[in-house]
Amino acid sequence: MRYSLVVHVCGVLVRLFGGMFLAPLSVALYYREYHDARGFAVAAFMTLAVGQLMRRAGGTSAEEAVERMRRVEGLAVVSASWLLIAHLAAVPYVWVGVGPIDALFESMSGLTTTGATVFRDFSAFGRGIFFWRSMTQWLGGMGVIALFVAVLPRLAIGGRELFFAEAPGPSEEKVSPQIRRTAALLWRLYAGLTLLLVVALWLAGLSLYDAVCHAMTTLAAGGFSPHPLSIGGYQNPAVEWIIIVFMFIAGANFALQYRALAKRDLNILAADEELRAYTAIVLVAAALLVLALGVGEGVVPTVRTALFQVLSILTTTGYASVDFQLWSEQAKMVLLVLMFIGGCAGSAAGGPKVVRHIVLARFTLQSLRRTLHPRAVLPVKLGGRVVPEPILQVVVVFFLFYLLVFSICAGIVVALGADIVTGLTATIASLGNIGPGFNQVGPMAHYGDLHPVSRVTLTLAMWIGRLEVLTVLVVLRPEVWRSGQWSAEGRHAARESLVGSPPAGA
Amino acid sequence: MRIVIVGGGQIGSSLARALAATHEVVVIDHAPHVADVFQSMDVEFLPGSGTSEEVLSRAGVQDCEFFVAATGLDEVNIVACALANRLGRPQTICLVSRAEFLDSSGEGGGLRAFGIDRVVWPEAQLASDIERIVTAPGAIDAEVFAGGIVRLLEYRLEAGSPLTATILGSLHLPRGSLIVAVKRGGRIFVPRGTTQLQAGDKVIVMGTPEAMHAVEALVHPGRAGGRLQVTIIGGGDVGFQLAEKLEQAPSLDLRVLESDPDRGAWLAAKLRRTLVLNGDGTDLEFLESENVGRSDVLVSVIDNDERNLLASLLGRQLGVPKVITRVGRNANLRLFERVGIDVAISARGAAVVSILHQITGGTTSLLAVVEHGEARVFELVVAPSFESRQLKDMGTSEDAIVAAILRGNRAVVPRGDDRINAGDRIVVFCTQAAADRVRQYFTRESS
Repeated sequence: MRYSLVVHVCGVLVRLFGGMFLAPLSVALYYREYHDARGFAVAAFMTLAVGQLMRRAGGTSAEEAVERMRRVEGLAVVSASWLLIAHLAAVPYVWVGVGPIDALFESMSGLTTTGATVFRDFSAFGRGIFFWRSMTQWLGGMGVIALFVAVLPRLAIGGRELFFAEAPGPSEEKVSPQIRRTAALLWRLYAGLTLLLVVALWLAGLSLYDAVCHAMTTLAAGGFSPHPLSIGGYQNPAVEWIIIVFMFIAGANFALQYRALAKRDLNILAADEELRAYTAIVLVAAALLVLALGVGEGVVPTVRTALFQVLSILTTTGYASVDFQLWSEQAKMVLLVLMFIGGCAGSAAGGPKVVRHIVLARFTLQSLRRTLHPRAVLPVKLGGRVVPEPILQVVVVFFLFYLLVFSICAGIVVALGADIVTGLTATIASLGNIGPGFNQVGPMAHYGDLHPVSRVTLTLAMWIGRLEVLTVLVVLRPEVWRSGQWSAEGRHAARESLVGSPPAGA
Repeated sequence: MRIVIVGGGQIGSSLARALAATHEVVVIDHAPHVADVFQSMDVEFLPGSGTSEEVLSRAGVQDCEFFVAATGLDEVNIVACALANRLGRPQTICLVSRAEFLDSSGEGGGLRAFGIDRVVWPEAQLASDIERIVTAPGAIDAEVFAGGIVRLLEYRLEAGSPLTATILGSLHLPRGSLIVAVKRGGRIFVPRGTTQLQAGDKVIVMGTPEAMHAVEALVHPGRAGGRLQVTIIGGGDVGFQLAEKLEQAPSLDLRVLESDPDRGAWLAAKLRRTLVLNGDGTDLEFLESENVGRSDVLVSVIDNDERNLLASLLGRQLGVPKVITRVGRNANLRLFERVGIDVAISARGAAVVSILHQITGGTTSLLAVVEHGEARVFELVVAPSFESRQLKDMGTSEDAIVAAILRGNRAVVPRGDDRINAGDRIVVFCTQAAADRVRQYFTRESS
């Protein structure tokens, strides 16, 4: 791994991120929150400065750097820039008086579309800050780096490594052979859907500000709401129905939706195994929830609440239309299971993803059949095609590491004083980028009372979960660092790193 | 009419033999020793290459009506057909041995550009023939005619079969079905009301689809609704296509045994719900460990007669009730059935039948050849000069029977008092020897 290249590309990305502060800055100015506006200006300046410095320090010309990027360098760039950007996005929170650990938690929770909050008192913050909170989710939903790949021609070639390091589904899925165009088309679809939702929510009775904030956090499957009681605070069934539909969209594969839209062919959607499984999970879970809740408050409201909460948890959005902390244990159990499933690959949702569950389930079934027929040829298939052995292994390894990270983090959180339900659900809600858990971290509560070390741990869990575990863990391997060198010119450590794969585009 | 056949191999010679009596047949082959086969036939043999214009001209392609390219090389066949099409206007039939020349519907779409009218892939023909037999429980041969309104099934009668209970006349077979032939001790004949069926007889039943369902239930009770387990040994072209076709029947459990691991992986990737097992179909231990004896049907389609026979006999030993085996050499067909295989069937035979169908079209068309050519099923249009009469007035015969009268899109299985009128379309079952006589009787054509 060549550090100069990593530093340089990170610098390029960070500098671009500096421009993003302009949006909350204008919102703050519009609402005459001049103190907050200064905070955004400072954050923007710091980000630009850090980016510029890193760019310079990296030295190599950008074209050269990005063209020769290897997979491990792509992973390192994505992991490092996400961490850096989270720090810089936290600056405005620190400016308005949030402690540094909480500011980073809130910022990471935003960028990773988790939606967990440490804010105790919502009235303490201005509209600019809440807008920024929602906007970090919107940027993180489709992927900050995907956005940069789309707008930055220089990232076009090495962008491939970056793009798939940020959105590492079990299979690489593109809507165009060109990665830059893929990123651009997906972002355009995402932005278009967001606009549609803004209009829909506005017509349903939300103020324009609330509509924009909720549209951004819905499409991103994020879950931040400027309202302290989340969606439940509006008491507006129409808003809930609209958000139900858009949460479903946000949790489904965007590339698939784009293809169906471009070809005007709904069969593409109907034929997709993951989408079918996803839909089935939503319907079954909602039915179970209706059974567990009973229809005492009328059939339609119960069905709406059940659908809303199922989608909110399954797509890892994390909104609450009611305080589900008050539900029966059976009903909460349904939600807990959903937390371990997640949305579709290639969506804004987090979690282990439906497709990985499908692959794992088939792999398990085939292994069982193999005991009956030792000489049978039993490939695992997805959509009629055989899943190659290496991908199968990665899926299994993903689940193992997911559980490993989950148990370590949960262990830390519980050891530091949380009760078991709080510890387990806070961890899965962070690792799966969901947001609310149960008990102490329930939908109407916050993470602010957890031990500071727990909060840092959960911040890291969000980061690891958003980049789907392996991206981060690969970069943490010692051999990546041992074989590292400052730049390509340094010949003393010219050995390839063990995880290094052929150059990008090969 | 004049028919030119390029390639004097098994398919070429079978075709020539079947067509020689009634048509002018010219066979072209570059191997001189092949000529010996045709010495005994009433055909003209031309040594030379089928891709030479000069040879084709000498064979009279200019004014022939059918041109069949049946060499072992696909490309030669295609070029020969293209040339023939340039020299004259024959209907060209081209044999191929690979799937790539066929489009998804099983037609030779891309080859039309070469002026090829029909592409025949013997393996595909064989696979669809086997499919029909597999899906008819208990039957050892199955055919469908006239767009599906007439079916034929052939059974081997076991001891205790309800059909052996009494003489045919008092059996009360389902309405709309008819036992058209019995094969006993190597002799095939049309039974009468007084015939008593015996265990070991093979019987051929024809009738409407509804009636044939009732026949199936009668001859093979208890099978209806249950799941059928089919084991296919050999995952080559035929095995794969057969499995692919059979996968569409939901009540079948399918297994393919393939010894080559790479081919096995390919099969497992292509097939949806067939269990692909990696192992040798002639390995008794393997067959036992996979419980092959519990299968309802065993199909052995390895590309090697000896191994096929071994695998099939092992399957029979393990207790499979119905064994279907592919035979490469036509000469082995009867031998295979004599040693206990229920159905021996060859790809080339299937192709020959299919080509004969096409060539002997017109007012009479050959629908099927059963019992390895010993009997035939024709569809024919009764000549205008035919004097209308009742069936019972035609007299009974040991070698021919009217199996169905086709009226609109319905088939009527006739009784003695049904009338045959001029212009009727009828389906006739007859032995090989009686074929020409029967045709003449109804159509009044001389050939």
